[in-house]
Amino acid sequence: MARVEIGSPVTGTVWKVERAVGDAVQEGDVIMILESMKMEIPVEATEDGVVAELTVAPGDSVEDDQILCVVES
Amino acid sequence: MSEYDDTAVQTAPVEGASAADTANHPFPELAFRRAESLKMGGEQAIERQHQNGRLTVRERIQKLTDPGSFREVGTLAGTGTYDAQNRLVSVTPAPYVAGLARIDGRPVALGGEDFTVRGGTTFGSTRRKGGQGGFIEDLAHHYRIPLVNLIDGAGGSVTSIKRRGHSVFPGVHGFERSVELLGEVPVVSAVLGTAAGGPAGRAILSHFSVMVRGTSQIFAAGPPVVKRSLGQTIDKNDLGGAKVAVDTAGTIHNSAGSEEEAFEQIRRFLSYMPSNVWELPPVVETADPVDRCDEKLATIVPEKRTQAYSMHRLVQMVIDRDSGFEIRPTYGKSVITMLARMGGRPVGIIANNPMVYGGAMDVHSARKQIHFMELCDTFHIPLIFFVDVPGFMVGLKAEQEGTLREGMRAVTVAGKLKVPTITLVIRKCYGMAGMATCNKNDIDLKLAWPSAEWGSLPVEGGVAAAFRKEIQAAADPVAREREIEAELKPYASPFRTAEAFAVEEIIDPRETRPVLCEFIALAEKRLQADVGLKPRYGVQP
Repeated sequence: MARVEIGSPVTGTVWKVERAVGDAVQEGDVIMILESMKMEIPVEATEDGVVAELTVAPGDSVEDDQILCVVES
Repeated sequence: MSEYDDTAVQTAPVEGASAADTANHPFPELAFRRAESLKMGGEQAIERQHQNGRLTVRERIQKLTDPGSFREVGTLAGTGTYDAQNRLVSVTPAPYVAGLARIDGRPVALGGEDFTVRGGTTFGSTRRKGGQGGFIEDLAHHYRIPLVNLIDGAGGSVTSIKRRGHSVFPGVHGFERSVELLGEVPVVSAVLGTAAGGPAGRAILSHFSVMVRGTSQIFAAGPPVVKRSLGQTIDKNDLGGAKVAVDTAGTIHNSAGSEEEAFEQIRRFLSYMPSNVWELPPVVETADPVDRCDEKLATIVPEKRTQAYSMHRLVQMVIDRDSGFEIRPTYGKSVITMLARMGGRPVGIIANNPMVYGGAMDVHSARKQIHFMELCDTFHIPLIFFVDVPGFMVGLKAEQEGTLREGMRAVTVAGKLKVPTITLVIRKCYGMAGMATCNKNDIDLKLAWPSAEWGSLPVEGGVAAAFRKEIQAAADPVAREREIEAELKPYASPFRTAEAFAVEEIIDPRETRPVLCEFIALAEKRLQADVGLKPRYGVQP
């Protein structure tokens, strides 16, 4: 099992978290949506697996590269 | 490090000559001296190099270039030790290995410091083998072939002052040839160890540079100097590892996970480049049909304007399959710069990335775009802009970084482009950052998708400023602002602009590849007419 950490592409805020820990995801599925510069930025699973960890919640401020979630594949 | 054990040191025409068989050689001294040079800094030093996770310079040359293609020059340069009768005992080779080799069948001049000999410090010969002003630079310049620097050294050493009896003025071995080469032939540098001083400067004067994450560092000066100058204690990886030098500062363009991957990136980069500016870049066969229309392009841009999408995926659907090679993927991420192929012909892709700050141009993405435009313009690689730019980045941090100045430098460089250029607006094209996506010296072909919108600034926000008095005077200012916005909105339709021929064509997103491939193929005759040096005049803002 490989643990893949998914980092934030931008500095912004977490707007919506679409998936919960334990959910199966496929590459390209949207796990959460961030908001930055008035744009909605989808955060996608980078491979097939299961959401093992969510390290942020809606409303949280996030930095560029900050780990948002972990997918186990 | 057993993975290196079986890597026989190769390359000199007399291979693996040992002391035993040099005696039977028709030219025993030549054979002996060649054998000495292959020993580099000796077994212990080689072992240490491997323990540090690094290859020796000879292994690097072997792994980078076509098998058996290395023709060494300066094999015998070094420091001889002679006995009381002035007979040769041994030779410590010069800490630089240089010569000619082939990459994908094409000749390149290359060389690198040998860290196993005196840490790759400068060799005190009158004529240098490599580095700035070295033989390999002359080889690349006079024979118009790409130059590859395999950098693993810290430059001059203070110890030379005693030997020489005086200190040297900066620029005795100056960068004038290195600078000249930037307009003539592709120059690539790999930082494969700790680079400071001259070698670090040499790495920057390149069209493409790459370093290895974890085992290489680059800085103006290393931790001891920082400690003495500023009293700060910092680890060399924290100071000049890839996280700082590539991701944050853009000092080096790309990072690689291993030396082998760095060599793969160098080969990949050169595959798009002509050997020099007097030639056109190489065209290859492609199995990907030029009239391929990807249905997914019709739906990739979300209808909701504030929803981002993957520009990377969009570009991949348009270019020849797997032909993309991203330059600086981790720096200035609000713009994507990528070498790719369309119908087998090299193209430079500049695509704004809506996922990062909505694609706004900040100081880093401006700098990244400037370098990439100049690279493609120099080597006759047509440019395609995939535009989704809301403007320059705003805010105090952006102003402190000089975004406006760097952004206008991008506009200036775009204004001097000579290479054929196509502008394709995917979504937003606003303001001065939008101007940096066009080439007015070319046919200025502006294509757009139906999702496109443009202007000096978006209607929202723009209305509040332009109609301030009218809005303030209204009984319900908020309602009046909305009203004016709604009134102006229909004019923002791209079709109105096309109707006025103020944008040349709106295309079905699915037709993107066939349309672009046709214009890129058409550009060939123009490119052919424009080969050669491109002098640059004037002052950059």
